[in-house]
Amino acid sequence: MLTGKYHIIVLLIVPVLFVLISFPMNDWFSETMPRHQLLQLPAMILLGLITGASFRKLSIRDTFGGIAILIFISTSLIFWMLPHSIDYAVINKPFNRLMHFNMFIAGFLLMPVLRNILFEVKIIFLGMTSAMILAAGITLKSFDILLCSSFTILQQNETGFYLIIAGLAFFAITLFVFFKGITVQKNTTSGSGPKAAS
Amino acid sequence: MYLQKWIKMKRVLIPVLTLIICITIIWKWTLGFSAFTVFTYTLDKAGTIPRAFPDISMINQNGKTFHLKDKHKFMLANFVYLNCPYVCHKVNNQLEQIYHLIDSSTIPSKLEFLTLSFDLKNDNIQKIKKYRSYFGTDINGWTFALPYKVSNQEFNQYLTRVGIWKYAVPSTGIINHSIYLFLISPENKIIKIFDPARDSNDVIVRQIYSCLQENTI
Repeated sequence: MLTGKYHIIVLLIVPVLFVLISFPMNDWFSETMPRHQLLQLPAMILLGLITGASFRKLSIRDTFGGIAILIFISTSLIFWMLPHSIDYAVINKPFNRLMHFNMFIAGFLLMPVLRNILFEVKIIFLGMTSAMILAAGITLKSFDILLCSSFTILQQNETGFYLIIAGLAFFAITLFVFFKGITVQKNTTSGSGPKAAS
Repeated sequence: MYLQKWIKMKRVLIPVLTLIICITIIWKWTLGFSAFTVFTYTLDKAGTIPRAFPDISMINQNGKTFHLKDKHKFMLANFVYLNCPYVCHKVNNQLEQIYHLIDSSTIPSKLEFLTLSFDLKNDNIQKIKKYRSYFGTDINGWTFALPYKVSNQEFNQYLTRVGIWKYAVPSTGIINHSIYLFLISPENKIIKIFDPARDSNDVIVRQIYSCLQENTI
């Protein structure tokens, strides 16, 4: 986790990058589907994630509150992966900014939740997210019908291919977290095993 | 004790309420989990069928103006633009096959075909006449037309009312659009909508005949 001067650096760089991606470079990102879906959208989540990680003391300890936030994050991801939303985001700039803001907030909230949430909930969330990315990728790769009117079928298939790869990578991370967690759980003799793994 | 239970219940309610709100947003946005693309969204938003086919003045390949509502026949209508690099021609080729699958006693006496161009900037009567000739000389009852004396704004509103989505990609100039085929009754109502990307020619022809028979009865 980031502290001290790193914290300040992050808080200075992140807003600059956010504005850069959301304003001057927005047209470039909106030009093709892979740029929009595979670069701009994850970049916003990443910026949020870095910001959230830099607030070391920010932690959501309530399991129910954490689950509520994870539901919000999952829904945000689903919403901005819908072809209808993608089209509107490309055509309508304020709607696109809403996407940027939403993704940033989702990323920002992710780290404080994952720090303390139950191990089982964490695995379910990671598993569901990887399944969702994979499903979106397979759909975009296999459909020969144009789903987003702002792009081409070729770009749609290309995005699908990279989403499949991203989904598999995410799945590998999930497995890593899972096995790491159960190993720690086995080695812990006191009751708080799974939580220690997180 | 009851207070403790209530507090615990309240905590459970937070994720439950969040889930309900999230599902409601997606439900609303996709019109009840049925419209996931702008094409289906625009079509569903235009209303359920049967519904009136919006009226507009049109001009055919011979320079004759007409209104669809004055035809009093079944019409199979689609929307294209002539500079389309691929999909419009594919759909029109499919439409040509459908045309030849239908009995000659049905076309043009009971059913006619209409292909309307929505590229007001580039398409004109000469172009649509030439384009029509590519489909042969034996296509009596298949009209190629343009909107007549309609502004861009009016025509865009018309397309939305029909249920057609169109978007010109700024970088390429390609117009991405819905490719639905609309079967319109003699009473000028849309009674069937076909998706040529999904529905086979046989299915479309069978359904057209079924509608024609229902109307005769």
